[in-house]
Amino acid sequence: MLMTAMEFAQFPVLSAILFSTILALLVILFIPDDRPKLIKQVSLGFAAVGLVLCLYVYFAYDTQKGGLQFVERFLWVKSLGIYHFLAVDGINVPMLFLTAVVLFTGVLTMWELEKRVKEYFALTYLLVAGVYGVFMSMDLFFIFVWYDVSLFPMYPLIAIWGSTRKEYGAMKLTLYLLAGSALILPGILYLWAVAGGNTFDLFELQRIGFDVHVQRIAFLMLYLGFGILAGVWPFHTWSPVGHVAAPTAVSMIHAGVLMKLGAYGILRVGMTLCPDGLVYWADLMALLATVGIVYGAFVGLAQTDLKYVIGYSSVSHMGIVGLGLATMTVDGINGAVFQMFSHGVMTALFFSAVGYIYDKTHTKMIPDLGGLSKTMPKASAFFIIAAFCGIGVPCMSSFWAELLVFISAVKTYPIRGILAVSGLVVSALFMLRVVQKTFYGEKNPKWEHIPDVPLFLASPRIILVGILVFFGLFPRLILDVIQSAVIPFVNSL
Amino acid sequence: MMWFAKDPVLMAASACATLPFLAMAVILIFTRQHRRVSAAISLSAITMCLLSAVYLLMTLRHAPGPVQYQWAWIISSDMIIPFGFLLDRLSLLMLTIVAVIAFLVQVYSLGYMAGDPGFSRYYAFQSLFAWAMMTMVIAPGMLQLYIFWELVGLASYLLIGFYYEKWSASQAGKKAFVMTRLGDIGFFLGIIAVLLGFGDLGILSMNEAAQAHKIAPFVVTLSSLLIFCGVVGKSAQFPLLTWLPDAMEGPTPVSALLHSATMVAAGVYMMSRIFPFFAASPDAMAVALAIGTITMLLASTMAMVTHDIKQVWAYSTVSQLGFMVMALASGGYFAGVFHLTTHAGFKALLFLCSGIFIHEFHTNDMREIGRGGGRKLTIPMVCMTVGALALAGIFPLSGFFSKEAIMGVLAGNPNKIWLLAGLLGALMTAYYSFRLIFMILFPREQTHGAEAHGSHGHDDHGHEEGHHGATFWAMAWPVMILAGITLVLGFFQKELEHYLLGAGPALHGAEAHGEGAGHGLGHYVLLFSAVSLALGGIVWAWFEFGRKKATQEGFLRRYPKVEALFANRWYMDHFYRWLVDYVVYCGFTNLFTRNDRRVIDGGIDGICRFTVGSGRVASFLQSGMLQYNLVLMVAGAGALVLFFVL
Amino acid sequence: MNSLTVYLVVGAVLFSLGLFGVLMRRNLIGMLISIELMLNGANLNFMAFNRFLAPEPAVGQIVTLFVMGIAAAEAAIGLSIILALFRYLHSINVERARRLEG
Repeated sequence: MLMTAMEFAQFPVLSAILFSTILALLVILFIPDDRPKLIKQVSLGFAAVGLVLCLYVYFAYDTQKGGLQFVERFLWVKSLGIYHFLAVDGINVPMLFLTAVVLFTGVLTMWELEKRVKEYFALTYLLVAGVYGVFMSMDLFFIFVWYDVSLFPMYPLIAIWGSTRKEYGAMKLTLYLLAGSALILPGILYLWAVAGGNTFDLFELQRIGFDVHVQRIAFLMLYLGFGILAGVWPFHTWSPVGHVAAPTAVSMIHAGVLMKLGAYGILRVGMTLCPDGLVYWADLMALLATVGIVYGAFVGLAQTDLKYVIGYSSVSHMGIVGLGLATMTVDGINGAVFQMFSHGVMTALFFSAVGYIYDKTHTKMIPDLGGLSKTMPKASAFFIIAAFCGIGVPCMSSFWAELLVFISAVKTYPIRGILAVSGLVVSALFMLRVVQKTFYGEKNPKWEHIPDVPLFLASPRIILVGILVFFGLFPRLILDVIQSAVIPFVNSL
Repeated sequence: MMWFAKDPVLMAASACATLPFLAMAVILIFTRQHRRVSAAISLSAITMCLLSAVYLLMTLRHAPGPVQYQWAWIISSDMIIPFGFLLDRLSLLMLTIVAVIAFLVQVYSLGYMAGDPGFSRYYAFQSLFAWAMMTMVIAPGMLQLYIFWELVGLASYLLIGFYYEKWSASQAGKKAFVMTRLGDIGFFLGIIAVLLGFGDLGILSMNEAAQAHKIAPFVVTLSSLLIFCGVVGKSAQFPLLTWLPDAMEGPTPVSALLHSATMVAAGVYMMSRIFPFFAASPDAMAVALAIGTITMLLASTMAMVTHDIKQVWAYSTVSQLGFMVMALASGGYFAGVFHLTTHAGFKALLFLCSGIFIHEFHTNDMREIGRGGGRKLTIPMVCMTVGALALAGIFPLSGFFSKEAIMGVLAGNPNKIWLLAGLLGALMTAYYSFRLIFMILFPREQTHGAEAHGSHGHDDHGHEEGHHGATFWAMAWPVMILAGITLVLGFFQKELEHYLLGAGPALHGAEAHGEGAGHGLGHYVLLFSAVSLALGGIVWAWFEFGRKKATQEGFLRRYPKVEALFANRWYMDHFYRWLVDYVVYCGFTNLFTRNDRRVIDGGIDGICRFTVGSGRVASFLQSGMLQYNLVLMVAGAGALVLFFVL
Repeated sequence: MNSLTVYLVVGAVLFSLGLFGVLMRRNLIGMLISIELMLNGANLNFMAFNRFLAPEPAVGQIVTLFVMGIAAAEAAIGLSIILALFRYLHSINVERARRLEG
């Protein structure tokens, strides 16, 4: 067993994960249009390979040793100091796992897609390649490149396969996110130039260190730039609109993984390189996060579109991530990373559940629905479980995340912490309201003919529910991994 | 696994903390279509729990101190949240109560829920409920307690809204969840306050430290008050009491469980669990006493006017919980726990009896049941009368003993107002419970038609009994067992007191204070006055509802304004409705939504429009004539050349 | 007048004629031909400098060959664009192609 582990350590697992998605993209492009079944099977196959590799990384990661593992590093462009530098630590191991899971379940969710199957899956793989790239690169240049790679497929994915005001949604989302990357790029280049302009290596830059004033400016740019993608209030309005417009699996990947990219960027780039900047701006971060938590829940109360509701709940939940990061404590950041993971799984479940309902009823307006539990109990159960997770019911993974964040938030920022905790009541009210209006009530004759979700189509949702409950019951399995990176990180602040 | 098998105590405790959960999972995932299998799984799980609980109680009865097992559930920096079991006198007693009641309710449900399309789902949720409650009871730390406390809330949400196709049911479930959540926010903040002020959330260490004054008094008061918010929500105290009467939208056995041993009992149990901690803060105790008293009186007044049989018992639950909080808040640890115990028995009894009536007559209205011939169902009628007598506090039923204990504690309080309030409450309790009994026993057939309806109902009843006898007996047996418990439990007061107070000098001290004042001549005066007030209440009810010429209207009919006030729950629901509609929806939600649409989106769209507009202006330069562009380009290049060369 | 100057003058004349043609012709094929003229003017310059001044005689010839290759490619692409435009507009007058007007 030890031997195989050693052998594997030589094998570049991270590159394999990253390039398997690009290979998948190429393979899909070479399959003829008229064989959609084969395209889907190939996509699923590659997603499964990615999932297995990510699971391997997850379990092979040594939490006792901590630090960077699976390192692959060599110089790529000498004159600028660009490295091909892939590595994982406790923070991105769960993120990789999350990405693989969401991709896998996303492919399964779109099994019944008929429109332009080839282009859809090709673009999905391009998107995921970008996501993997950001999550495993430790080089600022590549972080930025992969980040932009992950942004651009969103536009065609939404504009072609989307629904409700899809052009507007796609345009708004793309513009917002590009505005974000227009802040990130100068931020990164500024730090690179101040450090002498000869390395993009994240950890070398960290070792060099920066002047307080430089850090303040750079941190603000990075925070706002990545924060737009993380749905930080008041730059959140792209998120509901975009999620509503996007097709099911794109919403899953987008809300589930891409929004985490923003929070991850703040943590990995902003907070690592500019700790003093963080200290200076932490108050603002906490404030915006708290406003986001409460605000998202209140606005969610007024929505009549199921996907809008989920979009605003994402705003609220991503606020919790932001609040956790702003506390600058081990508990808070543990909770924030944990929340990134569990919110990813939870939203994927949400969108996946809504996707089935929308496919069958062709509406996602809450007043038109109602009484769905009678006709499709299984499909409804998935949404209801996700709603419980969103409320923060214990023994679901997001409960632990919220618990950790709130404890440290009340400790660090008492008033904002208490406000954020009170937001829980509103979020309970708004989730239960949606559940009640959509799924409870008299049987609706309009939907009587609709079959309940068959086992194969339910499988992605079952996987997601399983993960939520599993990590809810055994939180240490993930928290120990996260913590192995967070403790040294906080100590270095 | 060897260590596991070697320790039967641990094995029994783990059985309680896992089996019902596994039962729920198996039912939901595999056996939803097979109702008999589901019921069998759930019942066998709860039976195992019951046996384990009894075994634990018997084994650890004479244990010198609490037995504790802990494993780290999560570890984050220096904060360790353990999962484990704390087996001491209080938790074992409560564990047994929960297991007994949950077991009886599940047996009863075999009859009550027979034929319901959601039968399997029902048993799955019952298992979830039992699991959450039992694991909460044996929690060694406040956070585990909080976690399972929330799960108890979740389970009751699911069960209250069990008939989800009924709008009122799902509404009631939502209301229960959100209102208790409101209290839980306080609870959660209270836990954080303890964590920040003291640093250890273990129940035993908290209690010890508070008694030894190792925690700053400010922290104790603040966190006790905040934690008490949780009790207010869960145990339906003023001002969060209105969810409980609505919670009867669920199936009746659920109400029985919810009102006796689980959901609402959780609040009072938690208060007694950290009683020494509470007792260290006189201010918090005073607030709790006031709230308990207000709740007790308010709920009694509400119970005096309603005609819904389950609602009467629901209000009475609220008021009895008020009694328990009063007892605990005046230092009567044993009195509070004892009343919790007896109340669990007789309240489950009352609800299960009502359930039989409702099952037979398909109505909740006590007048309809009376006219339909409720008195002819001998077993439930007798059992319900036993329960009502216990509720009213008549010798020799269990309620008498526990209520006397509470009165004794209240009498020990220098301020006699609380005692007076308690006595008034006892009077009202007797009045409203016998109002119900008499209305069912002596129905008024105003018209001939009603008489015909009554006899028809009788026929119906006979037919049904013949039709599914097993169903009826599945419901009758648990009722009779509970009635038996209610009859004898009171006589074990001394044993229970000895058992509970054997350890814990802190508890003993507080108790001695209460008891000491109760003894002697004053004690007998008190005993006499309480019993006579209860009897007075019954006689009063007889006068208005029982005797031949009684109008069955009640004296409150003469004061319509007061009656409306009571019937509308002192307009508390109106207030909450207003709060949700106007403050939440029209206020914040509306404001924030508009801000999103107008200010943020409007601003962004405005910037976009500006960009597009300025592009349009600039596009006038673009004539579309290729060669004009070329001319301009050449001219520009020429100008640059001139500029640089010359 | 030495011989380099003569070549340069001829090259400049060719270039200017080509520029004049590009700017003035309304016929797209005419414009294409004029562009060829401009390229050839430049080529002539390269060859002249190569012949008289360059220490490394191959460089200018390589560049010229490159330019010729580019010219060929450009002619091919340009003609195909013109063909496509003709199918669309039924004319090769550049003034008709004004879809890019703002």
